[in-house]
Amino acid sequence: MPLTYFQPSQVDSTFNGYLRNRIINGAMMIDQRSNGASLTAANGVYSLDRWFTWASQSSKYTVQQNAGGVTPPAGFINYLGVTSSSAYSVLAADYFGIVQPIEGINVADLAWGTASASTVTLSFWVRSSLTGTFGGAVQNSAQSRCYPFTYVINGANTWEYKTISIPGDTSGTWLTTNATGIRLVFGLGVGSTYSGTAGAWAGTQYISATGATSVVGTNGATWYVTGVQLEDGAVATPFERRQITTELQLCQRYFVQWTGDSSATGFALIGTGYSSSTTSMVFAAMTPTTMRSTPTLTYAGTISIIDGGSAAVTSFGSLYKASPSNFWGVINASGGGLTLGRGAVLYTQNATTSYFRADAEIS
Amino acid sequence: MKTYENAQYQINPLNGQVSSISVVIDGLNSCVPIDPANTDYANLMELEREGKIVIQPADGEQQ
Repeated sequence: MPLTYFQPSQVDSTFNGYLRNRIINGAMMIDQRSNGASLTAANGVYSLDRWFTWASQSSKYTVQQNAGGVTPPAGFINYLGVTSSSAYSVLAADYFGIVQPIEGINVADLAWGTASASTVTLSFWVRSSLTGTFGGAVQNSAQSRCYPFTYVINGANTWEYKTISIPGDTSGTWLTTNATGIRLVFGLGVGSTYSGTAGAWAGTQYISATGATSVVGTNGATWYVTGVQLEDGAVATPFERRQITTELQLCQRYFVQWTGDSSATGFALIGTGYSSSTTSMVFAAMTPTTMRSTPTLTYAGTISIIDGGSAAVTSFGSLYKASPSNFWGVINASGGGLTLGRGAVLYTQNATTSYFRADAEIS
Repeated sequence: MKTYENAQYQINPLNGQVSSISVVIDGLNSCVPIDPANTDYANLMELEREGKIVIQPADGEQQ
């Protein structure tokens, strides 16, 4: 069989290749923190991986993977579901939203802030119990360059596909480092202070568009989204499918959670090391992928050390070494059940409330 | 914004340098590395500049 060679002119110019979607977890498949449980929104709290909540007032809405149990759009199995917890009247300085900060390195090629800035296109599937004009915005890291946008939901409780083209910003400072490059916001109720004219760049901190529907204004209102894609070019292409391994690794550049489960053997190994006293361990652990920065380490529930004896962790001690890919240091325990010099294992209990986190997220 | 409480520097015994900050974040025991790119470290530095938190010196160090 003869080999066939393609000329560049034969390649569809609208197809920009693999990883053209700058959004991570746009299909809402990964939910390391909550594992499908409902989260009460507060300001700056991450829900599904890479998506965090903005809320000038806490507890006005909840976020849950597949909230309400509706059938996702064809080709999807997950969505991010928002449910309003009350009928809150948004004040001028209030803001509520779902946000994804995109790392600057991943949007450097768009050349925003220069004369060569590329047009991008946002596409997504959305469904709400409300109809009307909804809003959001694209921002730079400092929120000093903002582009409010609108989209219309025509029918209640029906999945609708939306596309929005956004001209690249030729001014302002757009970071191309491992800090936030572009921030995408879906507004759920934003006051007049942070609402601006849709379809135009502004040097004002805008989170949504003037006149957009407030989801938090109606008790029990729902707003669901999935298939979120932000790509180079003025045309929306089909949602980029990624294998679950790839999507998880992309998420784990920012956040890793070791979690137990409720099965009899549902302990999660965090790291190994040795007992440095009867109440402490020197531990070492590696992250599954190199993270964006050296992560913050956090634990919740009962975390245990076993070296033949056992002890429950009470606090972090000194770090000997920390990097975006591994860390080792001292972790303290109570009870005096350890023996100096013994090999030891650090692990979670077999419960979902027992977890250890490495967090290198941005905001 | 996360809540940060009971912050204290920790010394790396291998080199005697400050290597991390132990702190309770949103009620959970945490360890924040000395890394300006780490969001929690940046938040702590900002809170300290604004006088909203005091990061205690490491045990055995003078304040």
